[in-house]
Amino acid sequence: MELRYFIIRRLLLMIPTLIGLTIIVFVLMWSLPHTFLASAFINPKAPNRAQAILTAENQLGLNQGIVLAYLHYLGNTLTGNWGYMTLTTPIKFDGTVLSGIGLFFPNTIQLVIFAAILSILIAIPLGTYIGARPNSIADHSGRIFSLSFYAIPVFVLAVVFQVIFGKGVIAGNPVGIFPISGTFSISAINVISPPSWLVSGVGGVVLSQPTHLIIFDSLIHGDYALAGNAFMHIVLPVLVLTLSLLAGILRFLRASMVDAANSEYIKTARSKGVPENIVVKLHMRRNALIPTITVLGLLFASLLGGVVLIEDVFDYPGIGYLALSTILSGSIFGVLGTTFLFGIILITANLLVDITYAILDPRIRY
Amino acid sequence: MYSIQNLEDELNKNNTTNEDEYLKVTDLVTNFYTSRGIVKALDKINFSIRRGEIFGMVGESGCGKSVTALSIMDLVQDPPGRVVSGRVEIDGFNIFSDIKDLAKIKVKSETDVKIKRNKRAIKKHNFMLSKIRGKKAGMIFQEPSLALNPVLRAGDQITENILLHNKKNIADSLINRANLSLDDVKLVVDEVLKNKDETKSILNNWCRRNALVDLETQINSIFKNYTDPKEIENEIVSLIKGGLTLVDKASLIEARDYYDYKERMENLEIKRFAATEESDSELIRSIGAEEVKLRGTSGARFRSYSLKRIFTGKKVEKAFKTEANRRAKELLSLVSLPDPERIMRSYPHELSGGMQQRLMIAIALASDPKLLIADEPTTALDVTTQAQILKLLRNLNQLVGASILFITHDLAVIAEMCNRVAVMYAGSIVEQGDVLDIFDSPKHPYTVGLLGAIPTPQVKTESGINLHTIPGSVPNLITPPSGCRFHPRCSFAMEVCSKSKPKLVELEAQRKVACFLYTSEVEE
Repeated sequence: MELRYFIIRRLLLMIPTLIGLTIIVFVLMWSLPHTFLASAFINPKAPNRAQAILTAENQLGLNQGIVLAYLHYLGNTLTGNWGYMTLTTPIKFDGTVLSGIGLFFPNTIQLVIFAAILSILIAIPLGTYIGARPNSIADHSGRIFSLSFYAIPVFVLAVVFQVIFGKGVIAGNPVGIFPISGTFSISAINVISPPSWLVSGVGGVVLSQPTHLIIFDSLIHGDYALAGNAFMHIVLPVLVLTLSLLAGILRFLRASMVDAANSEYIKTARSKGVPENIVVKLHMRRNALIPTITVLGLLFASLLGGVVLIEDVFDYPGIGYLALSTILSGSIFGVLGTTFLFGIILITANLLVDITYAILDPRIRY
Repeated sequence: MYSIQNLEDELNKNNTTNEDEYLKVTDLVTNFYTSRGIVKALDKINFSIRRGEIFGMVGESGCGKSVTALSIMDLVQDPPGRVVSGRVEIDGFNIFSDIKDLAKIKVKSETDVKIKRNKRAIKKHNFMLSKIRGKKAGMIFQEPSLALNPVLRAGDQITENILLHNKKNIADSLINRANLSLDDVKLVVDEVLKNKDETKSILNNWCRRNALVDLETQINSIFKNYTDPKEIENEIVSLIKGGLTLVDKASLIEARDYYDYKERMENLEIKRFAATEESDSELIRSIGAEEVKLRGTSGARFRSYSLKRIFTGKKVEKAFKTEANRRAKELLSLVSLPDPERIMRSYPHELSGGMQQRLMIAIALASDPKLLIADEPTTALDVTTQAQILKLLRNLNQLVGASILFITHDLAVIAEMCNRVAVMYAGSIVEQGDVLDIFDSPKHPYTVGLLGAIPTPQVKTESGINLHTIPGSVPNLITPPSGCRFHPRCSFAMEVCSKSKPKLVELEAQRKVACFLYTSEVEE
């Protein structure tokens, strides 16, 4: 009961947060020269440019003062009119920011979901194990592992992994079996007559139907060789992301396990005759997960930053790759759109963290 | 029945040297190995607690009262602390029988101590302790708000304890209840309605005969609340069959046998453990033989049962849980918590300090231990709540018959609560005896000083009430004073006091003092 009201309240609180986010993005936009903005807002394919600039100025409310201009911006954002952008990658694409995001975002989701699930699945049992045995050999190695991977920037890690595990980076390397760029190899498909569900395939970007995720789509259409090939392509980026996320979770879980182990209620549990493994798994871990979950929100934010870098290093067509190429090509509405999207993702992630927090810790009701 | 029962009785008889003594602590030494030196927190503590008595332990802060409590249950935080030597016999079983195997402690200097823990021995030790803790002795802590797990519901914290130790018992009462038919209930209802004056004794007999003792009060109140015999019958039947609607009798019996088998095997393991430490080879052999026999008759059956339990056991476990919940609610009313139904669902932070401490007591009592260790249970509570909790503990002592080790720094509480008392100073017991004797004629200079420090309105000087204190302060236990640890503060100190430590000797019956004013015996 109470939890339901809490969730509803948090969802309602998301609205002002999102409005704050639009204000920030709008201020970024407003600080630019208005003629530049107007010309960037035009569909590149529009026939009459002079007329189009006038229409764009009206649509953006550029000559109607900051308040009206903001309302115009809000209206445009909510109705899905996020402007236009150019892409350096040649691809079939209608030029709007939203459809650009639709093209690239699924690839990132795939990466992040694999990395998040993998790191949580490893970090929680491992953190429980080493946290329950402070100062043992397992604990020391776990700490060295997590501290080093927490400290090494992801792009460095990415490059190191490319060198060690990358296919063809070092000649004759027995572990160098993973491709280092793109989502699949051109050689894995018939270029002359590609399958009907694969539309356009230049520069690593393909549009596969129906999910836009090459692994799942090739599985759906029964092309297992291509699925395997695409899977090999995401191994390295997922590995790098997993390691950095895993290191963070492990560090905090271990610390809060040690904290919990020193508390009085653990003595109570032992004094009841609770077996040691249940003391650790129920009494200690349940309490230790609370601070860890809080940190997970912060880790997720740093993960998003890492994704941009990793996608660039691996030439992987995800949202980070999109953000970077819009910046490089000067497509200001592409930059604003991806910024807004990153904001939404962060806010949603924090909402999820807060809800998990409330489920785990009965004392929390904001 | 298994012949094993006889062996167990035999073992119990052998181990219990004095029928009266439930807890016997002998030469207990606990040290804390810190970076600043070794804190000699307990220096050969000796005392024993009889069945059913309330034993007080009093002293200044830092004198080792709480460490004593924790050491008895081997709950001292390690690192830095360790019980180094000594015996703690709970119900005849020495929980530190394997103390030499647990860790090798090499003392190079005060600040440089190497402790090599034997992980395998510690694992075994912990397993053995998990069968003793809770079942034989429960513990109540000083700060209930810290001692209750904040993320578990009150109900779950109580039932956890019940389900850990009492599964066989629960199965037994569930089976007994399943055996009762409606006719049995009809008979007793008729009988009671005919002889209304003897309601209590009839019900008492009936409940005892049918293993329904835990339901007696509820059945009594049904007779008070209803008059129509049909209604009474229905109410009693629904009460008795409460946990049984989900599960058939056959699987209950199977579960009972399984837990019985498990308990026997565990008991044998614990007995073997003790026998191994005392290298009683004949006993070890007979235990081994019994184990083989037990495994032969029931082992195969229950190996398959533990597999089956994964698939079909859920219903049985649910019946167990229901019954445990019912017992938990009963415990909550036993410790005078109102509205048990609601408390069961609450989290600790939703309860007040007094209610939390009552809950803590209910948890400690859940597995029906015969010893409660109460470590300053009222220190964190305000005075009125304190009085209620003390009253509750005293009532429980009479009702449940559990002995209580009551630790406090408050002499008034000791006087009110305890039968016997031990006075602790800097890690040693300096005086021990009947509460009245000690308050009437304290022997040890420290006890005299403690009692003198109680403010009384009569002692007035011109500047107002003159508060007596013992000069000096509690010594640093890293470098405790030589000889008698109290001698630097003692106004009767003699030459011998700084050289050797007096032994705790029996002056008269039940009266022990460790002071050279009364004895010349030296502790080696």
